[in-house]
Amino acid sequence: MITLLEELVLLAVNDDGGMAFTAGSPSFGRAVAGACLVELSEAGRIDADLSAVRLVSSAPTGSAAADRVLAELAAGEPAAAEVWVQRLQEIVPELVRLALRMLVERGVLEQTEARFLWVLRARRYPVIDGREQKEAKLRIVSSLLGDEVPTPHDTALVGLACAGGLLQGFLSNAEIARLQDRINLVGGIDLFVKGVESAIRTEAAIRAQAYMIPMV
Amino acid sequence: MNATFDVVEGLTLVNPVGRLDFEASAIFQKQMEQVIAEAAGRSSQPVLVNCAALDYVSSAGLRVFLVAARAAKSAGIRFSVCALTASVKEVFDVSGFSRIIDVQADLDSAKGVLAASRSA
Repeated sequence: MITLLEELVLLAVNDDGGMAFTAGSPSFGRAVAGACLVELSEAGRIDADLSAVRLVSSAPTGSAAADRVLAELAAGEPAAAEVWVQRLQEIVPELVRLALRMLVERGVLEQTEARFLWVLRARRYPVIDGREQKEAKLRIVSSLLGDEVPTPHDTALVGLACAGGLLQGFLSNAEIARLQDRINLVGGIDLFVKGVESAIRTEAAIRAQAYMIPMV
Repeated sequence: MNATFDVVEGLTLVNPVGRLDFEASAIFQKQMEQVIAEAAGRSSQPVLVNCAALDYVSSAGLRVFLVAARAAKSAGIRFSVCALTASVKEVFDVSGFSRIIDVQADLDSAKGVLAASRSA
């Protein structure tokens, strides 16, 4: 069974083993941080309310990425989920690398080296049999097409995949538009996912402000 | 957190009291699983959680409500919560729980709605 973070990273892997363009986006980075927080919450290491994330136990979980985030939480000042999602952005590339390494160790992905222009090297991660990636997509689609109450894990997966811009990788814009009400309903009935959504909104607002031309 | 469980007027009434956080959530989840299994055995009797004395709910506590609502729906049981305190209502609203779980304003109106749904 792969972790929520691994599922999210797997959804960002293209058919050719490259990472989707969304993988470097601020939204994806915030979804990655959120996935680690949800994992720690599911593992009983942290809890949260609207004002703060609370450390329940600093015992390792066995997941390298989740434990990296746990160490950050244990060393940092208490703050709301949105603030933690923002703080964790510095280590997102490391978290993604750890998730990719685990997926290779689990036999889900293969690691290959490719060369561009005979000189530049690029690492690729082709999917081996695609079962786990298909399963993650299927769980998302089932949650969106059915009228069942989703599991907490699936609501986090839907919410984070949506926030991270990963639904576009396997659903058309028309399908997303048609399912938008259900996406809003089931995606992210979770305070950590809400923290991710708030962090993305805040980042977008800051970016928009930076691009504004001062009126003379 | 403590909780009492009563069968009244054709429904199972759950009364949680205090703080539903990580420490309380595991026990409350087990209790809710049992309540829903028993309600399923009583002709799918509705389950109503009266939150009038629930002061606080955390992320872990919300998960208990989601799991209970899912189990109830799978068993064909109507699952509702009512009388949310201001702080709990804020968490339900922000997290989106209010949109996926039936939330009634107070105990009397919840009983009325559930009675009407049974007789319909």
